[in-house]
Amino acid sequence: MVVRDLAKLEGFTTQYMDEGNEEIVDAYAGDLLSDVMGNAPSDSVLITIQAHKNTVAVASLASIKALVICNNRSTPQDMLEAAKEEAICVFTTKDTQFEASCKIAKALGKV
Amino acid sequence: MRAVIDLHNHSCLSPCADDDLTPALLAIEAMEKNIDILALTDHNSARNLEVFSQACELCSILPLFGLEVTTIEEVHVLTLFPKLEDALEFGTFIEFLLPPIKNKPKLFGRQLVVDLQGEVLQEIDLMLSSATSLGFSDVMEEALSRDALVIPAHIDRPANSVLANLGFLPSYPYSALEAIHPHMIKQKQNLCVLTGSDAHSYDQIGRRRCFAELEECSYEALKDALKDPRNISYQI
Repeated sequence: MVVRDLAKLEGFTTQYMDEGNEEIVDAYAGDLLSDVMGNAPSDSVLITIQAHKNTVAVASLASIKALVICNNRSTPQDMLEAAKEEAICVFTTKDTQFEASCKIAKALGKV
Repeated sequence: MRAVIDLHNHSCLSPCADDDLTPALLAIEAMEKNIDILALTDHNSARNLEVFSQACELCSILPLFGLEVTTIEEVHVLTLFPKLEDALEFGTFIEFLLPPIKNKPKLFGRQLVVDLQGEVLQEIDLMLSSATSLGFSDVMEEALSRDALVIPAHIDRPANSVLANLGFLPSYPYSALEAIHPHMIKQKQNLCVLTGSDAHSYDQIGRRRCFAELEECSYEALKDALKDPRNISYQI
């Protein structure tokens, strides 16, 4: 799947997206950014509740292409500006991390 | 005496702080803002504390030599030492416990060790804002055993705070708590709730401080005053 396919998932709202052409091959769920930094696979989407600009920096370091911010948390402006700069797409959803992960797993063909 | 205290500030050593926020600039601006007791608390490193000591001496400010330690749960804890050498030793210990991840200055910011004039002496390669391998309780014990003040930082922040990351405040002999909005915090374990600037840029120096009723302007007097929340007040 590509990043823009995430925008089509039910209940996902696009906060920042470029063309959304980047390929996504995997996903990682986590809120401890040190763990994300060490273990998230490249070319993945991160499912998290950490809605701040440090998440973008960590995503960039770990070659994560997109962030899905769960539990209806809002994304601050400085986070979205950082996302634009690092070309990392950001989506929000009311879903829990589990619900969002299920939808993404299905879209990735992993279940 | 009523002392003005601000116990949470960064310098250009912290990747997230501005490169021009040198320890000397911090001390001078704190002096302008009439701060009596000032702490420098860079993330997981003590490398700018020596120059901070010199700057505070020139500015007639009582320095506390601090680190903002990141626990394995990503909770930020302020550890404050009266003696520079104790803070330097603790800083070496804490840096040793950071994972071997290199900083990417473009993403996270530069990590600069500077002299009194602000000349760059060294740029630190290791990412200082990572989480150490020490758990919250281990940080407490290590710092308390070294006679430091131990203060969970910004407990009312949604990230990197004990309440957000652990969900509750474990029972420990904290020296105090720190909050961004201290008057909104419900009294916890009869602890003083302080507020600090958490300055990352020049304009943030002195933005939050509190007043402490002290016998005299000293570390011991501050430690004593922190035993009773009635000694602390705020400028709202």
